[in-house]
Parts: sequence; structure tokens; C-alpha cells
Amino acid sequence: MNELQVYLFVALILFCLGLTGVLQRRSLIAMLISVELMLNAASLNFMAFNRFLTPEPAVGQIVTLFIIGTAAAEAAIGLSIILAVFRRYQSIDIERARELKG
Amino acid sequence: MLDGLSFELLMAIVASMAPVLCFGLIMVFTRRSISASVTVGIIGSFLSWFASLYLFLHYFHAEEAVVFKGAWVVSASLKIPFGYYFDPHSLLMLMIVATISLVIQIYSIGYMAGDPGKSRYYAFLCLFSWSMINLVIAPGLLQLYIFWELVGVSSYLLIGFYFEKWSASEAGKKAFVMTRAGDIGFFIGIIILMLTTGHLSIAVFGNAAEVGNTGLSQALLTLSAILIFSGAVGKSAQFPLLTWLPDAMEGPTPVSALLHSATMVAAGVYLVSRIFPFYAASSTAMMVVLIIGTITMLLSSTMAMTARDIKQVWAFSTISQLGFMFMGLGAGAYFAGVFHLTTHAFFKALLFLCAGVFIHHFETNDFFEMSKAGARKMLIPMITVTIGVAALSGIPPFSGFFSKEAIMAGLAHKGNIWLIAGLLGAAMTAYYSFRVIFVMWFPKGEVEEHGHGHEGGHDDGHGGGRWAWVTEWSMLSVLLILGAITLVLGFFQKELEHFLTGHSAEHHGSQLILVLALGCALAGVILAWFEFGAKNAKQEGFLSRMKSVEALFSNRWYMDHAYRKLLDYVVYGGITNTFTRNDRVIIDGGIDGLCRFTVSLGRAVSRIQSGLLQYNLYLTFLVVALMGLYFLLV
Repeated sequence: MNELQVYLFVALILFCLGLTGVLQRRSLIAMLISVELMLNAASLNFMAFNRFLTPEPAVGQIVTLFIIGTAAAEAAIGLSIILAVFRRYQSIDIERARELKG
Repeated sequence: MLDGLSFELLMAIVASMAPVLCFGLIMVFTRRSISASVTVGIIGSFLSWFASLYLFLHYFHAEEAVVFKGAWVVSASLKIPFGYYFDPHSLLMLMIVATISLVIQIYSIGYMAGDPGKSRYYAFLCLFSWSMINLVIAPGLLQLYIFWELVGVSSYLLIGFYFEKWSASEAGKKAFVMTRAGDIGFFIGIIILMLTTGHLSIAVFGNAAEVGNTGLSQALLTLSAILIFSGAVGKSAQFPLLTWLPDAMEGPTPVSALLHSATMVAAGVYLVSRIFPFYAASSTAMMVVLIIGTITMLLSSTMAMTARDIKQVWAFSTISQLGFMFMGLGAGAYFAGVFHLTTHAFFKALLFLCAGVFIHHFETNDFFEMSKAGARKMLIPMITVTIGVAALSGIPPFSGFFSKEAIMAGLAHKGNIWLIAGLLGAAMTAYYSFRVIFVMWFPKGEVEEHGHGHEGGHDDGHGGGRWAWVTEWSMLSVLLILGAITLVLGFFQKELEHFLTGHSAEHHGSQLILVLALGCALAGVILAWFEFGAKNAKQEGFLSRMKSVEALFSNRWYMDHAYRKLLDYVVYGGITNTFTRNDRVIIDGGIDGLCRFTVSLGRAVSRIQSGLLQYNLYLTFLVVALMGLYFLLV
């Protein structure tokens, strides 16, 4: 197992943790954190490929910077949605907000 | 489009277009003001009449037909002209139409006084005369057909003029639909001609020498001639499409006069006489024309014998006289048919307008009641109606005598059986028309005097005292003019024959026929005198002793019942019902079923949506993962 594969393996574990968190946790804050984990896994992938495979180092780093920026924005929006949900249901439990059904 | 704008062409345009201009003006601008509309209408028809008179006199001695035309549709093998075609026949007819339209518009000043719809009425009259004038001077069958239909539309509008009355709107609809039934045949006939000869020019079909050169086979020629004749059957109310005409009496009386003399019903006879050489080329078609004419004439004469409504009597007499014209044409007597059309136009307009005066004055249509109310005190209408009836029954020296005699001569030429039918018809005509006259001149039983005398004018609210004489004389002067024409027209037979056919044959009827025709007419008159006129007459026809025959005649041979049954069982019961059911069950049912399927599918699928966000996420990831797998493997 070379070094690239190690990084990719770590990123995979991170992504799976995030996915499990999003799908399993009932708390909206926990789900948001899990989404951040998935984004980080993606960033890690970019950095790893950038370090080991490309001769030009700048591109992957720029993309990673973008991801961090989007993640920040996403966290801001997500938190404000969570606030709104809390005001509506007095709770941030996802099971309480189930009006979107047929 | 039209080559060179000469003065004659200008006059032709004025003659044909003035009425439609007036129609537009009245409908758009002067509809609110009745007097303005009347002025516009009368000025328009006067212009049209004047231009027609000019054209008539100008072309009276023209050697051959004068044509102004432009190509309307030109395709590889197809040429359809559009414009004006003046030959003696169309000029004569143009003159009749323009004259009758003018006098009827003048008459209507009085007759329609106080009617709130008078503007609309004048607009429709203008539309009517415009369509008829253009029909008459059409150079091609297609133009003729277009204006033919416009005549149908405007007669529909006028018959249903009192549309708030149920029977009037029904009568308008009936007239329109029944004439349409014949027009279908007419249109198919035109299409056959167009497909086989590539043109529809009247110059060709109206010329004996050229009909043979069109390359039509005899069978096709006969077929198209009979199909075109079916249009004439509808328009001229011939058997079996004759029941619309008596119902068309629902319109105002001047409209009936216009409809029965120069426009609507004359169009059918005009069509056949217009392309007469085309008919003459097929003996079968001529025989069909002759037979239909004979049946119609006899049927409608019997119907007229029992009617008590003066307008109904005139309506049936119109049908029978039209049948008479077709008999003349079918027997090959071209001039006799056209001559009878001409004289009939004037005396029938006269009869209807007289009836209009009586109806206006006594407010009833029943001539027995008119008689009781003192109809014989109205001297001018009484004298003119007598002149008209004498012309209708063929009593010399009135115009109808000459034209009827000409037709009799033609029928005798064809065969004795037709002559006998014609004589029988003439006797019946004399009987039923003099029945009206005798009843009106010699009232029996108690006579109740009408409240206001004839001299006092119509002071019943409309017209206004100062203008009463206008209302009065607009009607009476027209009666006098038409009466005068009816008196003298017969003496112009020679001139007209020369004008129409180019040669005036010597009197081709034998003395015997003359005596026979006169004898039959007189027999009818005498019978009517003993039953209705004489001092101790009971005013009951001989038919009232034969109840079943009388019922048959007064129910119009049950033709209306037959049509009613046909409508109820075949059209409404069969066709309409089937289509309604198809609509309800198959189309509506199909759409409803589709809707219900969609809704229930939606209900079923919506169970998946539990509202729990994470199930949706599961599904999303599952799909993305499967798609990823798919792309990896493929």
C-alpha cells in the first residue's frame, strides 16, 4: 500500500462516517456536522491527488479552498435553517419535522 | 385586375356595390337613427337601380355578351373568373331585381313604420339585394354559388327578423337548412364540372355551341345537371324541398314580397335558365326538371285551395308558379320560362304588397276576417290585388296571361299529358286565387266596420299625424306602379323575346291551346264565383264536403309531418343519438378514465413519501450509488 492509498483510505473512512451520520442521527446539528465530515473527506481526496499525481500543485489547493468556502456558507445557511426549525417545532429533532409527505 | 376603367364598368360597379356599401353604412354608423338608415338604404337602392337602368338601355342592342372580368383563381388547368357578365338574360334579371328591391324599400317606409328594428331591417334588405344582383351578373358558376349562399343567409336573417318570436326564428332556420340540403347537390355538381372541364364559365355553359365542346361525357353531364338542379329545387322550393316557403311567411310582408318575386326563389329558376343550353344537352335532366316542376305545381295548387291565411295562399301560388316555370324550361321553352319569371316577379310582388296593406290595416292574416272588417272599402289595394290575381290566373290582358300561354304552347309541344297537367294547374290557380278575391269583395254574414276609416290614415301611434300621408302613400304608390307594370308588361312579349333570344318567332301557340288555357282559367273563376262570390254562396269550398281530402290538402300532404318523422327518427333518434352516446361514453368516458387512473396512481405512489427526511436521503444515496456502480461497470 503506497502513501496515496493510505490517504485515500483515510478519506473513505471519513466519508463513510459522515454518510452514516447524516442518515442515522436524528439531531439536525449532528447531521450538519456529518455533512462537514463528508466535505472534508472530499477535500482530503483533492489534496492527496494533488500531492501525488499532478506536476502543477496549485489547482487542487484552489479547489480545496473553494470547498472550505462553500462549507462555511453551507454551515451558515444550515444553522439558520436549524434555527428556523427550532422556532417552529421547539426542537431540532428531525422526526418532528415530517410534514412533507404524500 | 379589371382591364381599363370605362364608364360602363363604373356603372356596373355602382349597380352591384351600392347596396352592400349601404349595408355597411347602416350597420356601422346610422343604426341608431332610423330615418338616416332609411335614407341611406333608399339612396343606395336608387343608385343601384339607376345604374342598372343605364346598363340595360346601354346594352339593349349589344350584339354579344359584355364581360368585365378578372381572373380570381388561376391554376394549371383551372380558371375561375370573377366580375360581371352582361347578356340579355342577366340584364333583364338585373333590372327586375333592382326595380323590385327599390319599390320594396319605398313600400317598407310605410309598412315598417314604428318598428324599432327598422335600421336592421333596411340593412338586411340591402344585403339581400346586393347578393341577388351579384348572383345575377356572375360570369362564373363559382361566383354565382357564393352569392347564392349569401342570398340564403340574408333570407335567413329577414325571415327570422322578428327573432324574439319562436316560430319566426324556427322558420328562418328551416328555410336555411332546407335550402342548404339542395345546395350540397349544387356544390357537388360544380365540383364535377370543375374537375372535368377545368372552368366554370357561364359563357361556355350558356352557349349551345360550346357545351358540346367541353369534353363532358353524356353521363357526367346528366349527373352534374341534375345535381345542380337540386340546388335550384331547394332555393325555388320545389318538391320535395318545398315546405320551407309557407313557413317563411313569418318574416315581414315586404320581405315575403321580395323573397317570392325577384330574389330568393327566382334564383333557382334563374340558375336553370342561365345555363339552359347545358340542360338542353341532356334529355334526362330536362325530363327531371319537367317532372319535378309538374309535381310541385299540382301539389302546391291543391295546398293553396284550403288555406285561410292570405299570405299562405300567395306562398303556395308562388311555389306552383315556380313549378310552372320549371315545366316551361323542362319542356324546352326557354323564353316562356324566363318570360313567366319576369311577369311573375312583378305581379307576385304586387300581390304580397297588397296583402301587406291589408295585414297592416286589419292586423290579421285571415282574409275571411279582413273581408268582414270591410276590406273592400280600401279601393286602391282592392283594385291592385284584383289586377294581380287576374295576372296570376292568366286572364287577358294582364301579363300573366301572355307568359302562361307561352308555357302552355311549350308544354303542348312536349306532349299532351304535360299540357293537361298544365291546364289543370291553371284551373286550380284561377280557382284558389279568385276565391280570395271574391271573399274579399263580397263579405257574407255580419259585417263589422273597422274602428278607424281608411281615409284617416294610420293614427295608431306610429307615423305621427303630420307624416301619416307618407306612410300611406309610400305603400299605395308602389301598388299603383306595380299594378301598371302588371297591366302593360304582357304586351312587350315580342320585344322581350327578340331581346332574349335574338329572334322573335311568330306566335307559336295554336288557337286551340289559347282557347283551352282561357277556358280552364275561366272555369276556375266561375267555380270560385258560385262558391264564394254569388249572392247566396255559402263561402265554403267544394273541398269542405270531402273531409279527408281537405285534411290532406290543408296539412300540406303531410309533408311537414313526414319531415318531422324523418328528423325525429333518423336525424335526432339515429344519428344525433349515436353521436351523443359516442361523446358521452367513449370520449368523455375515455378522458375520465385516464384522469381517474392518474389520480389513483398518484395516491398509490404517494405512500412512499413518509415525510421523514432521512428516508429521502437514503433513497438519494442508493440511486447515486447504483448509478455510480453502473457507470463503473459499463
